[in-house]
Amino acid sequence: MRPLASFWNLVQNENMKIYRRISTWIMLGITVVIPLLFTVAFALLAEDNNANNWEAMMLESQILFLLITIFAVVKSSETVAGEFSRGTIKLLLIRPWSRSSILLSKFISIVLFALLFTVVSFVVTWLANVIAFGYTANPANLISEQSPLAGSSPWAYALRYYLDEFITLIVVVTFGFMLSSAFRSSGLAIGLSLFLLFSGSMISGLLSLTDKAWVKYVLFPHLGLSTYVNGGTPVPDHPTTYAFSLGVLAAYFIIFNVISWTVFTKRDVSA
Amino acid sequence: MSQAPVVSLQNVSKRIGGRTIIDRLTLEVNPGEVFGFLGPNGSGKTTTIRMMVGLITMSGGDISIAGHSVKTSFPQAIARVGAIVENPEMYKYLTGYQNLIHFGRMNPGITKARIDEVVALVGLQDRIHDKVKKYSLGMRQRLGVAQAILHRPALLILDEPTNGLDPAGIRELRDYLRKLSREEGTAVFVSSHLLSEMELMCDRVAIIQKGELIDIRSLRAESAGAAAGLEEVLFEVDRPSEAVTVLEGRGSARFAEGGFSVTADRETIADMNARLVAAGIRVYGIRVKIKSLEDQFLEVTGGETIG
Repeated sequence: MRPLASFWNLVQNENMKIYRRISTWIMLGITVVIPLLFTVAFALLAEDNNANNWEAMMLESQILFLLITIFAVVKSSETVAGEFSRGTIKLLLIRPWSRSSILLSKFISIVLFALLFTVVSFVVTWLANVIAFGYTANPANLISEQSPLAGSSPWAYALRYYLDEFITLIVVVTFGFMLSSAFRSSGLAIGLSLFLLFSGSMISGLLSLTDKAWVKYVLFPHLGLSTYVNGGTPVPDHPTTYAFSLGVLAAYFIIFNVISWTVFTKRDVSA
Repeated sequence: MSQAPVVSLQNVSKRIGGRTIIDRLTLEVNPGEVFGFLGPNGSGKTTTIRMMVGLITMSGGDISIAGHSVKTSFPQAIARVGAIVENPEMYKYLTGYQNLIHFGRMNPGITKARIDEVVALVGLQDRIHDKVKKYSLGMRQRLGVAQAILHRPALLILDEPTNGLDPAGIRELRDYLRKLSREEGTAVFVSSHLLSEMELMCDRVAIIQKGELIDIRSLRAESAGAAAGLEEVLFEVDRPSEAVTVLEGRGSARFAEGGFSVTADRETIADMNARLVAAGIRVYGIRVKIKSLEDQFLEVTGGETIG
């Protein structure tokens, strides 16, 4: 195995292919502009100035995570399937690297993309709202009484929310990545991943009609990992713990990656 | 040539769902050799190339490149290979130069100076910082060659390399490949359906049909041997049947378009001409029929059309 520095070359290549595209910068632009627009709207509409920076930030973050997930799914669905549809896969795989290394470099670049957008979203929503509403050290209504974080600082709450959302983001992105390498079609991968994302709550509702124990192991409800921070549980009528949800998400994460890897390394490239 | 072959295919087979696409193919390519790979459409040329570069697996046999098995030590084997499989597809939203940086990063020891050198070699200096989507097919082909030779491979595999090139481009590519093989000892493996091109480019050709190797022949030796012996000559005359009667007993003449053809040595041909003229037959032309690669190809593949 070659040193890590030369593996980093592969990740650099994938990053180049992401950030040299206009679409990436449009996505980043949207991620910056949307919270700014909301902040301006809040500032104009809030009459008696009872809005505080943390509540505005969390509201905007909820919307942003929906957007970021779409963006990251688009990129992760494109990263493998795009090489096939362009035909560049034939040039990419005839290099002194195993297919596993190529796939890993692509996955890392997508995780970095998701991380970048999450960090940008945190920074922008925090800054914009502090500028608009001033800094509140102890917001009254931010953290509910049932929350395990009741009484903690707003920083702990915001960071925990971002961490939970980032974890589910990575699981959804891994799902898109798996479909991308299995079907070699980005359209199908994007479509199915977004279906997973948006039908999650609906399917959770359906699942709550049955009282079978396996309902707890279905992926969809656990994508609502951030419900814990407000004192709720993601699976209706089946109380679960935060650690249990993390375990379910980890199991799916591993399954998705094993499928991606198996398909990508074993299948013939005849595109 | 006593060196070890750069690439050797041993009983390579590919079966997909009970159908045999490639059947026990065995061949070797030596260093510094330009090796042509000929076959009608669907004969398995691209499948063979894909197996050589590890894009698809073999159902049987093995391929070794510079002594490394493609099956068991792929990274070592492929490190010595540069290739274009089918069309030279590049990242269109990147510039030519960024594409070369991309592929350069994947092999050890490729410097900026080497990239510039290769860009100059393929003659893309003026346009290398343009996005690839603005390139013509010919320019993409050059960029394809550039990425393939960046790491000074021992074996260069080109699938239909003259596709989309204008005559000047084809000539340039041919000269360049010859230079590579002569000066750097690079073995070049080219598949093409342009038989006349292959004739000018290759030292040896292999002909495959329906996944089976039909023939491997050396093109250089053939033309040298023909100069010494008998030649097949076409006489263009006004009355072929009368002419054949005049020449009765002087070798076997066959009717051909516009006259007849015979196989004879140079002196006999001059004698025949004198007799024909003496008999009052008008001779418009005497041409030596060179058996082109195309004729040979059609001969061995049984006249199947080539795409």
